[in-house]
Amino acid sequence: MNTPAFVQAIYDSGIAMWMRGSLKAMPLIEATHVLAIATVFGTIFIVDLRLLGMAGTSRPYSVVAREMLGKTWAAFIVAVITGALLVTPNAITYYVNTAFRLKLLALLLAGINMVVFQVLTARTMSQWDTSPRPPGAARTAAIISLLLWTAIIFLGRWIGFTKGYDFAVPEDVQFEFPQ
Amino acid sequence: MFELAQQLGTSGLSQAIQSTLWLTPLLQAIHILMIGIVFISVLMVVLRIQGSVRADEPFDQTWARFAPWVKWALVVMAATGIVLCIGEPVREVSALSFWLKMGLILVGVLGLLGLRRAASGVTGSTMPGGVRLAAVALLVVWIAIIYLGRAIAYDAEVWGSWSLGVYA
Repeated sequence: MNTPAFVQAIYDSGIAMWMRGSLKAMPLIEATHVLAIATVFGTIFIVDLRLLGMAGTSRPYSVVAREMLGKTWAAFIVAVITGALLVTPNAITYYVNTAFRLKLLALLLAGINMVVFQVLTARTMSQWDTSPRPPGAARTAAIISLLLWTAIIFLGRWIGFTKGYDFAVPEDVQFEFPQ
Repeated sequence: MFELAQQLGTSGLSQAIQSTLWLTPLLQAIHILMIGIVFISVLMVVLRIQGSVRADEPFDQTWARFAPWVKWALVVMAATGIVLCIGEPVREVSALSFWLKMGLILVGVLGLLGLRRAASGVTGSTMPGGVRLAAVALLVVWIAIIYLGRAIAYDAEVWGSWSLGVYA
């Protein structure tokens, strides 16, 4: 398969070369990515459970959302930056990886779901803000959100097991595991 | 310990886990979902102690909201983690990151229970500085657990000659 020029350019970039040569860059950036994703998922889970009326119903939705969503966005920005960094040293295999493409699609759908909820459903929030059981549209958005974010985490883990590597382990590392 | 891990690695159960190629990513994905639940629940307790979330409710109410999630998510994490260990026992016992992680999980759970004792009964938003500092330290422990978990896969790269696999 032909590699598009922009993918090749990412693969050849200085940051990609640095990451391919560095021993500690991958584990550090991957762990930061996990921490960011855990925060994104955890905060969204709390908001979605409130929308479903399954937890935190003693407090208005708007209060729960205000406490959580700032943290969600901060963690999401970290996840995007670390995620982009993780793509660079393997850009060519990521580009053709099905799990990676599906993950980007799921992220897009999660974004659309959020916009639809904010533009349409949240407009009537004053009517159901304190209700322990928000309307069907809100609950539907919460279920879609939970399914998509769960899928995003599964697909993310699947990338690591299907993509292969564009580079070998740096040569100065000695692996001597017990036989 | 290595001999034990090697024996376990050649057992039928371990071989079955290793040869079921979709099982490891599936369990790891569940493990990560549970990290999200545990980490955010700990974060909420820690931030309540700082008075920056849920300051309008007593601490015990925040604890009652999140403690069951920590407990059950940790049960799922232990279950998925044990199966992952049976699948790759030598990789786990030869990783310094694995042993540090296990130690810090103990510290993290005991620290969380200790924090609850210290903060229980507080209804206002302000808490003593010592309790708030301990809460921040506990959060750092849980972040370290996440980093060490990822580092198991890169133990030799992260720790160099400290990695137990190199010396054995």
